[in-house]
Amino acid sequence: MESHRRPRIQHQFKTRRAPGSCKCSHSFRFHRGCLAGRGGSADEARLQRSFSDGDFTHHGRRVFLARWSLPALILGTSSVRADVRRAPHLIIWALLAGCLWAVANTLTIFAIRDIGLSIAFPLWNSNSLLGILWGFLFFNELRQAGWRRWAGRTGRSAGHVRWRGPAGDGIILGSSRGAFDARSLGGARAGVLWGTMYIPYRKAYLTGMNPLSFVTFFTFGELGMMSALAVSYLGPAPLWRELMAARDVLFWLMLGGFIWVIGDLFQQYAAKYVGISRGIPLSNTNQLWGLLWGILVFGELHGRGASLYAQVIGGSLLMMMGVGAIALSSATGREQSQWKEAARREGERYDVAQDYVEARMDGRQAANEVKPSRGLLDWLLVAAATFVFVVLATMPACHRCPCAGDRLRS
Amino acid sequence: MERDVIGEKTRNWVAIVLTDIHFWVPIAVLIGGLLLLQFIH
Repeated sequence: MESHRRPRIQHQFKTRRAPGSCKCSHSFRFHRGCLAGRGGSADEARLQRSFSDGDFTHHGRRVFLARWSLPALILGTSSVRADVRRAPHLIIWALLAGCLWAVANTLTIFAIRDIGLSIAFPLWNSNSLLGILWGFLFFNELRQAGWRRWAGRTGRSAGHVRWRGPAGDGIILGSSRGAFDARSLGGARAGVLWGTMYIPYRKAYLTGMNPLSFVTFFTFGELGMMSALAVSYLGPAPLWRELMAARDVLFWLMLGGFIWVIGDLFQQYAAKYVGISRGIPLSNTNQLWGLLWGILVFGELHGRGASLYAQVIGGSLLMMMGVGAIALSSATGREQSQWKEAARREGERYDVAQDYVEARMDGRQAANEVKPSRGLLDWLLVAAATFVFVVLATMPACHRCPCAGDRLRS
Repeated sequence: MERDVIGEKTRNWVAIVLTDIHFWVPIAVLIGGLLLLQFIH
């Protein structure tokens, strides 16, 4: 099964990349990577499809810079230090979440390679359902929420998982129907890992941690795990060669990572203020944006049948209706009192002051908190990040070559 | 004296994390993911 599937996939890639149109040595995947945002987005997924085993190591590096410079710029490292002093245990949760993210992301790469995106994508999107389960079981979310809110949430998540199957076949590189084998577990398992990753998220935010502090430590777990996987699979020398081979497109990778981190921060704030059972399904709408990019920028679906368009547009409308249902189902007073009960329990367990937890849950500062300010260290971090971007942008790279635009459009 | 207090506090929150059932769920899932990754690879 696999032996005839892979050449077909490669053939369809070749038809889009206008072979021979560029004399540059870089592979096509990096140009698409310029526009890739979140790890679970359709563009990113297409990018991952073309990755070799070692290429996933770039992701951890490209987001690391942003995850340190943005908190320094927005909040200041003094605030991050203050968060850690109040609740040092949250470092463990952030590292754990980063490790889960890295393993999930790696599994998706293997899943896309082995079973195809059209099957892998809906499998890992099961993370919405798992997020709802963990939110309900551990953090009192959706308790006393009423059947309408439950129906909106689960219907939206189930629709989200189902949608990608028929539509994905047309969008992404041909069908892999019937290709289920043991490796299809990779996609499902990635969904389990991503869904479970939200336990540390919620844990941290219920005890008052700022999302900017969380991502600062999250990235250590992410980069550490990703590096450990890359070194164990490739060995140090081949890994270094992979990194060197990509040095002239690092600017685009870093830029993609920077944009990714901004989007990720919004997801973190959603997990904090609306809970994981609402935040995850809403943030998974990145599929819609991936679809728009695919159609408008990469010319996907052009020349395909009307039934395929009906499936894609119908599925997208279904998703948007689900999103609307979630957006309108704000937590009632009774449900919010359940959240506060969960926050009180966590505060007592980890000895975090209740007034601090309550203030942070309300999005304000506690009475005894010092207003965050930026110091010399923060400006040094921001300057260093800016310097890295400027250096990478001035490096001779393929994006300077006139054919790059043509290849992007091809 | 102060160092002893800090050390005691650190031990305390590590112990609290390790005895938290919420902690072991992601750990179990992570181990499962790594095992599957090893199997796939």
